[in-house]
Amino acid sequence: MDPNAAYTSAAGVLQLIPEMIVVGGAVFVFVGGTFAKSKTAWSWVAAAGLAAAGLALWTQKVPGGFAGPIAVDALGYTLRWLVLLLGGVFVLALARPAAAGQAPEVTGSLLLAIAGGMIVSVSGELVLLFVALETISIPTYVLLYVGRKDSASQESAAKYFFLSILSSAVTLYGFCFLYGVTGSTHLAEIARVLQNTSVAAVADWGPLPDLALVLIFVGLAFKIAAAPFHFYAPDVYQGTTHENAMLLAVLPKVAGIAALIRVTTLAMPLAAGTGWRIALFLAVVTMTVGNMTALWQKNVRRLLAYSSIAHAGYLLIGLAAGFAATLGPQGSRPEEGLGASVFYLVVYAFSTAGAFAALAYLGSPERQVDTVAELAGLGRTRPVSAAALAVFMFSLAGVPPLAGFWGKLSLFLSALDVRSSPGLGASRQTWFIVLAVIGALNAAVAATYYLRVVATMYFLPPAKEPRAEGGGAVRTAGGLCLVAVLLIGLLLGPMLIQATQDAVQASAPVPPPKPAQQAQIDGAPPSIVR
Amino acid sequence: MDSTGAILVASIVLPLVGAGMCYGMTRAGREVVRKVALAFTLLALVLAALVVSQAPRAVDPQPREVEGVAPDEFAVVDLSWGGAGEKTGQPAAFDVRFSLGLDGLSVWLYGLSALLLVTSVLVSWEQIDDRANEFYALLLLLETGVLGVFAARDLLLFYVFFEFTLIPLFFLIGVWGSEQRHYAAMKFFLYTLAGSLLTFLGLLAIVLWDYSQTGRITFSILALKQGLAAHPMSAGLQYWIFLALFAGFAIKVPLFPLHTWLPLAHVQAPTAGSVLLAGILLKIGAYGFIRFSLPMLPDATIHCAPFVLWIALIGIIYGALVALSQSDMKKLIAYSSVSHLGFCMLGIFAFNALGMQGGVLQLVNHGLSTGGLFALVGMLYERYHTREIAQMGGLAKRLPIFAFFLVLFTLSSIGLPGLNGFAGELLLLIGMFQRGMAPGPHGTQLLWIAVLSVTGVVLGAWYMLYLVQRTMFGPLREPRPAHGAPEHSHAPVRDLSRREVYALLPLVVFIVWIGVQPSFFLTRTSRTLDPLASSLDRRVGTAHHVSVVDVPSNNTGGLTSTARHDEISASGGPHGP
Repeated sequence: MDPNAAYTSAAGVLQLIPEMIVVGGAVFVFVGGTFAKSKTAWSWVAAAGLAAAGLALWTQKVPGGFAGPIAVDALGYTLRWLVLLLGGVFVLALARPAAAGQAPEVTGSLLLAIAGGMIVSVSGELVLLFVALETISIPTYVLLYVGRKDSASQESAAKYFFLSILSSAVTLYGFCFLYGVTGSTHLAEIARVLQNTSVAAVADWGPLPDLALVLIFVGLAFKIAAAPFHFYAPDVYQGTTHENAMLLAVLPKVAGIAALIRVTTLAMPLAAGTGWRIALFLAVVTMTVGNMTALWQKNVRRLLAYSSIAHAGYLLIGLAAGFAATLGPQGSRPEEGLGASVFYLVVYAFSTAGAFAALAYLGSPERQVDTVAELAGLGRTRPVSAAALAVFMFSLAGVPPLAGFWGKLSLFLSALDVRSSPGLGASRQTWFIVLAVIGALNAAVAATYYLRVVATMYFLPPAKEPRAEGGGAVRTAGGLCLVAVLLIGLLLGPMLIQATQDAVQASAPVPPPKPAQQAQIDGAPPSIVR
Repeated sequence: MDSTGAILVASIVLPLVGAGMCYGMTRAGREVVRKVALAFTLLALVLAALVVSQAPRAVDPQPREVEGVAPDEFAVVDLSWGGAGEKTGQPAAFDVRFSLGLDGLSVWLYGLSALLLVTSVLVSWEQIDDRANEFYALLLLLETGVLGVFAARDLLLFYVFFEFTLIPLFFLIGVWGSEQRHYAAMKFFLYTLAGSLLTFLGLLAIVLWDYSQTGRITFSILALKQGLAAHPMSAGLQYWIFLALFAGFAIKVPLFPLHTWLPLAHVQAPTAGSVLLAGILLKIGAYGFIRFSLPMLPDATIHCAPFVLWIALIGIIYGALVALSQSDMKKLIAYSSVSHLGFCMLGIFAFNALGMQGGVLQLVNHGLSTGGLFALVGMLYERYHTREIAQMGGLAKRLPIFAFFLVLFTLSSIGLPGLNGFAGELLLLIGMFQRGMAPGPHGTQLLWIAVLSVTGVVLGAWYMLYLVQRTMFGPLREPRPAHGAPEHSHAPVRDLSRREVYALLPLVVFIVWIGVQPSFFLTRTSRTLDPLASSLDRRVGTAHHVSVVDVPSNNTGGLTSTARHDEISASGGPHGP
């Protein structure tokens, strides 16, 4: 069967109904916006669109691995729900945009970005994946630029624009090599070709699969703001609003990790020997750079930017563990690490979005909260907002019984569970133990700056009554995140860890290699570093 | 879930409900909030007493065979967390359980926690004026945390409660503490967190070792213990995991070079915080050693024991010497904790029934006496707004009831026969000497540790009695009023109120009770500790196992002594090698 048939067949197209509803909503808002510049009505339309998309997604069954460009598998289903729920939070947060006159443009762009995130979740094909990634990026440029006249925000938008273009190009370059090696853009086909090729052919490719892997990693590391490709994040976050920073900190990260899991770990097990080294190195550097730099930040958006960089490092722990586990030995479970990454995405997304929502609520359209010092005494003046922000901070720090704890647990568990293949020495296992220890120490360092925010709110005398004029919508957004963080922390954590693992396991495009094949891969020529 | 288990769960959940109520009472004022808090802690104490009273004394002649429950456990509750794995009917691969229960190790520490919470509400009665609703809410949250730590039967649940205690304490110290409270709160939190994250990795490594051997991920402490007994780890792996666990537990205890957070946190915390820190939270470190390191990593524990014992000894003598030179009462007592906890570690790492029984009993004793002493210092501070020893003298004339309690807690702390400290200290020192004289590796070294540790007892008596002598006796010398305050701003100084006496009285009851009838408490701990001690004892290579039975029962009086003797021999018997 022609794998591209799904683009034209009704069954394939129908799989994307939720995304179509969201895009349809965006178009409706864009067109309607030229006639009615209502401030809040378009947010209601957007919310209705997301609700309809949610209903469509709810009625969709999860088929076991739809072969074709659209991978409507358990992983895609999980990630689509995550993006959709986060989309609801974004719509609420941006319901009163700083650019009051351009509400329809803001809402419409936001819906497009959400649709892009959902399509990334289900992309089983490189072109579709790239288009989906751009569907997130392009509306984001608009969001960053619209209605902001000061030079800081223009610098921020320009910086993000150029670096994002660059990273897209690098990703695309990597995709090209992958296509050149395997002759297909379909991930399932790529995985099949890479796994069933003879040793001679592998030698013939030379370093091409590894090169593709490196380029894809570099490109997507921009998206998830992993060091050393993180430099834009602090400047961009600082220069924009809390609501935009929330979007930037969360959506590209979800998309980037989803793409990394789909393209690199699930489709390129052959390159896993290189893959785990890259991911592990990036994880260590990213965590450490993010956390160490965050310690010195006074601007609260900069602080959260470095925090989000550090969390990109944590997300990569799971990816590295997943990669390493694809190499065996028998009994290793790649889904443990990958599932941990996906679960950590959920935890991180709600904690960070909640923190930004709380900060956005505390400011006002004219003047937003900029420095940590402005939060002084919030425990007295705004007890509920302060408590919510403290919960998000503790969750990001990974203190039980909040959501972040379960995230750290699943990551550390997956890293410590990596075992070396027999006969190859214990080096891989040692590396991952070191990774887990560095991760744990980093968590303690991170707690320092999260606690500093909490200490400022509760221990210092009130500086100035905060305006708290962010509006009811953003307050609701923060409230939803708070519910999510508490619910995951107190009740659903273990169940969701299990569920994400199961989802990843059910979504591998080809069954994991049999021991016989494993031996062959282990004995692969030296061009593929193991 | 049997009824005792249900009460156990209720005693842990109830403070949480109370915390929510207190936090919500923003307009009620402290008069109402503190009464609500007291009611909740009292109710939790009653429930805890009901649970503890069910503690079986001796080993059942016919132990009930219950799947997944150790013979020494009671009040067991085992629920799945968030319904994981309930739908399919099969246990989930990632099976975290909300599993609670008590055994001989945890029963008294659990009871002590419930008791000290009532004391800490009562000592905060007048002291806490600002944001009282938040204060009592945090106190009750902390109660849930500490009761949960001791009752957890699931490794992750233990860790969740263990870390969770940091959050309320962070706020208690940072908001209601003294001058350096912000620094103290941050240091306390970060120091403890850094260590406990490494502990966390160690605990996960244990789980994963078990997984690699048995193919199932379990967090149940009992199942892990059984798994490790069936598939022992290599000594090298044990050694690394022991170090990881050590990082967190040793900071919590605290052992010598890692103790620097303690004086700061204890001194800066509000009175209730100091009482709970010293009385309960320090115990979690030692508890962790006995719960995890000793049974799960026996080879590494035995291998590292001389090292642990040496730093415990350094802590004993160093803590005592530093305490001796303090001019601040609260600091003096804080450093005395370093010394006392060193003794507890000495007993625990003696690896015999006497030492471990003594060590665990001494944990409880230290909670009672030091908790009481911190409460007294707080009461004195409320009266004079100073803790400087040099400014006080002869206060016994002015505050006779206060002086009575101070002398009593001091005597308990230094181990006067007839009071609780004696029973614990004697047992653990005998245990340590026994270990030193037993044939085995490091014999002379251990004997030296035992001999040198006795100097700690002498020093302990010195600094405590010196404190009492300087402040309570001699010519009357009252602290000058605080700088800038009107003359005699603290006057007229009254002796202890009825509320303050009620705060201390329960502690006194147990101090005397443990002092005159230690066997009542020891029989209930021996069920858990004797088998553990004898298994470690066998490993050390000295096959001679002595149970509590063989000690001439101290100060219990002739008649009860023989009666108790019979009772204990029933428990001691079956554990022989």
